Amino acid sequence: MKQRVLTSLMVIAAGLVSALLATMPIIGQSAAPKAKKSTYTPPKLPWGDPDLQGLWPGTDLIEVPLQRDLKAGERAEVTQEEFAERQAKAERTAANDRVTHVAKDSKVGINPPGYWLEHGIPQKITSLVVDPPNGRIPELTDLAKQKAAQAKQAKQGHGPNETWEDQSLYDRCITRGVMGSILPVIYNNGTQIVQGPGYVAIRYEMIHETKIIPLDGKPHPTSNIKSYMGDARGHFEGNTLVIETTNFLGDKNGIGLNGGGTPHSADMVLTEKWTRTAPDRIEYTATINDPKTWVRPWTVRMPLRLNPEFPLYEYACHEGNYAMFNMLKGARADEAAAEAAKAGKK
Amino acid sequence: MRKTLSIAVTSVGLLLAVSPVWAHHAFAAEYDGKKQVHLEGVVTQMEWINPHTWIHIDVTAPDGTVTSWMIEGGSPNILLRRGFNKGSLEKGQKITVDGFMAKDGSNRANGSNITYPDGKKLFLGSSGTGAPVDPGPGK
Repeated sequence: MKQRVLTSLMVIAAGLVSALLATMPIIGQSAAPKAKKSTYTPPKLPWGDPDLQGLWPGTDLIEVPLQRDLKAGERAEVTQEEFAERQAKAERTAANDRVTHVAKDSKVGINPPGYWLEHGIPQKITSLVVDPPNGRIPELTDLAKQKAAQAKQAKQGHGPNETWEDQSLYDRCITRGVMGSILPVIYNNGTQIVQGPGYVAIRYEMIHETKIIPLDGKPHPTSNIKSYMGDARGHFEGNTLVIETTNFLGDKNGIGLNGGGTPHSADMVLTEKWTRTAPDRIEYTATINDPKTWVRPWTVRMPLRLNPEFPLYEYACHEGNYAMFNMLKGARADEAAAEAAKAGKK
Repeated sequence: MRKTLSIAVTSVGLLLAVSPVWAHHAFAAEYDGKKQVHLEGVVTQMEWINPHTWIHIDVTAPDGTVTSWMIEGGSPNILLRRGFNKGSLEKGQKITVDGFMAKDGSNRANGSNITYPDGKKLFLGSSGTGAPVDPGPGK
């Protein structure tokens, strides 16, 4: 009897311990939002700059949300239980990918099928935003809230596809903006760094942006010169490439996926840092400082993996191509159907 | 209804919840979720264009009438990474398409399921990014 009671108590205790462990950050992983200081020294290029060159796609991080789930609070990493869920999900996705034949009774959905998508690798980090410590994009300023309300007001009574200009700059294949070009999305996440004496170029696959960064220490041009991607200037601090970008066209792109989210202002200053932390790893951070839009600066961090098997393919695209035509025609068909229904009721 | 052909356009009503995948643009703006199509046709051309590929097929009706359809496919780059290339879909290849028809009633459809006549998926998936040597999830 005593033995049975003891066994039961031990089972309960073991259960409590595992429940506790499940809610704790993974042992051995830092819960601090800041990355560990790297001691790795990257090779140098013939002209002395650290070698950051290579293909650094964001694909691994696709399943990591930009903003942290509120219930995770200031926890920078998932619990063991949550990580197991991420692993199980990845296994289900892989299993689905291995299915060679479409089942006869399979339901057809209007959304694109699974083979359209790239898949990430289960990650321990809870969000790409690492500062503020809660992993959330800070509150909008009063000015930004006012602008958002005005934009909403202007859309009243205006359908989503009345003109081609109703489509986002991404849908129109113009640009995904300075952060939208690198944040991981469902597909085409290629990013490549190419260096030459005095310059670094960063190529982004989807919508074909290339950011050319002079390292000569010259200042940004006059503030009258503005562009979607801004003007980038860089320098090395030790082995870290630091890029400051200003001169943006304001109220166009957001800092979200594909340039979505609240548009940043023309006064935004973006500070990006690239540090190679291992032969096949690079740490990327971007601090968004736009006092007209957000009440405080905020930082995104992405640990990227070198993947020489992820070449950037050409991405010529014009105004959404056939899709633009289809969306506009679709909206006209919806209007005609609504008119016909109205006439039928009379 | 459009010519009978071998096309079945059926009203399927609201579909069961599907994963909220957002492609380059919202499919709901282009296609009518109540007009499901089943097409059996022969490839005449594949356009490797961005943001999405388009497969052109000819569908022949029992009376011999031929109707051309355009099917919206995946992004060219991801298809390439999955090992599909411009030689993979030959002109004359028979394929079957299950998807939804364009809202404006034109002969365009999305290709939710595109298969060879035996039901084998046209664009087979692979784990991870789809790149041939990708280590896959968890590696």
